[in-house]
Amino acid sequence: MKKRGKGMGCMWYPIGFTVMANPSAATVKVNEDGTATLITGTVETGQGSLTVLGQIAAEELGISTDDVHVVSADTDATPMDTGAIASRTTYVTGNAIQLAAEKAKNILFEVAAPMLGVRPNQLEAKDRQIQVKGFPQSCLPIGEVAAHAQNGAGTPALGSASYNPPTVAMDPETGQGKPFSTYVYATQIAEVEVDEETGEVEVLRIAAAHDCGTAINPMLVEGQIQGGISMGVGMAIQEEMLFDDEGRQINPNLTNYIMPTSLDMPDLEVDIVENFDPTGPFGAKGVGEPTAVATSAAICNAIYDAVGARIYNLPATAEKVLAAIKSKDRSDRQKYLPAE
Amino acid sequence: MTDVTLTINGEERSASVPPETSLLRLLRDEFYLTGSKLGCDVGDCGACTVIVDGMPVNACLMLAGQVDGRDVVTIEGLATLEDLHPIQKAFEEFASLQCGFCGPGVIISAKGLLDRNPDPTKEEIKDALSGNLCRCTGYTKMIEAVQDAARILRGEKEAA
Repeated sequence: MKKRGKGMGCMWYPIGFTVMANPSAATVKVNEDGTATLITGTVETGQGSLTVLGQIAAEELGISTDDVHVVSADTDATPMDTGAIASRTTYVTGNAIQLAAEKAKNILFEVAAPMLGVRPNQLEAKDRQIQVKGFPQSCLPIGEVAAHAQNGAGTPALGSASYNPPTVAMDPETGQGKPFSTYVYATQIAEVEVDEETGEVEVLRIAAAHDCGTAINPMLVEGQIQGGISMGVGMAIQEEMLFDDEGRQINPNLTNYIMPTSLDMPDLEVDIVENFDPTGPFGAKGVGEPTAVATSAAICNAIYDAVGARIYNLPATAEKVLAAIKSKDRSDRQKYLPAE
Repeated sequence: MTDVTLTINGEERSASVPPETSLLRLLRDEFYLTGSKLGCDVGDCGACTVIVDGMPVNACLMLAGQVDGRDVVTIEGLATLEDLHPIQKAFEEFASLQCGFCGPGVIISAKGLLDRNPDPTKEEIKDALSGNLCRCTGYTKMIEAVQDAARILRGEKEAA
């Protein structure tokens, strides 16, 4: 008989490791046509980080994301980056970019202030203009200000900055310290169907609520969460590295290292929990790795809810689940046996 | 050597290759059509999917000699100089791909489905994509894009 169950998994995850140096750097240059060039070492691997980083630069400069040309991942020409790792890019590289863009913007303010007859701190960058706060009709196109910075004032509008999350060393005696800059939180709920006769688990549905600070690009955040859940589903019930006695992997291929296909994926509901982290760029933290953390816990709790069997090592393959159901049945029966 | 003459993306092409050459190697190494990806080379991952006489197949599992006289459509055959194919556009609009390695195969599988079945259910789409492994996306946004492309191809929706 097939039985259904629901289970929950909750997690927190650290963003911006600080136990060792973890810097990112960027240069932002505002061009005479009102576009900007962002130079950074980080690598796009499909997660959309260059889009998000371009958005951060654009937001700081008051221009459109389409106006930002991103040059990345060439260490001959760009700053070195600690890496597209540890769910750090939006947070660490994003902070460096916001700081760099702010420096370029401040040069534009210095140049535009006498042109508009105000002090630099009375200016803001918005709608592709440098404008007086509260008086947007008093404005100059950002490209015109950049051209004047270059050709008139002689102070080209560019800024370079780096960001390294603040470090509090771990005390070797107590283990106390501040190993990470900030944290994200998530809860996932899984609904499964377990076949009691075969132990086979089907994941029917997963609802995932994730905090990532400000979701700078909600569509990409959703994509990260959906992808992370597919990795979590694989980890929970399918993906297993098997080794022989010599330590050689006996399933080093996709024929028998089984990862989720479109047919294995449950219906997904993603909920991005709005939040603002004051240490992140425009309140953002990170989203990459945390997405896969809660899934297997939620699925194993759902299996327990369905058939009362606890799985303590992953993946919860059909044979492990069936063995757990059978040993539970034995111990249930023993409860009713008279003591000798 | 095996002599092969086939139609690739509407154009007749010929090559002379060793008999053990797969269709995938023929496409990539002889005709430099590198859009079809070499992933596992044993038919597990679907990154090499192409359409042969209207049916999606793993190009790594077919010999070049078997496609003599047949019609092959690869990912390079979908877009024109002016425009992407509606399925490609939908994949872009829905952010359906991340690293993108599986993309050509997935899009070709989707085209193979929509050519045969213009109004597929979600289950039919899942079934059609089940031979294409994706490590990044969880497939959700791909399925949504195929549904959207189907609406556009049926003329129920304007292309974005």
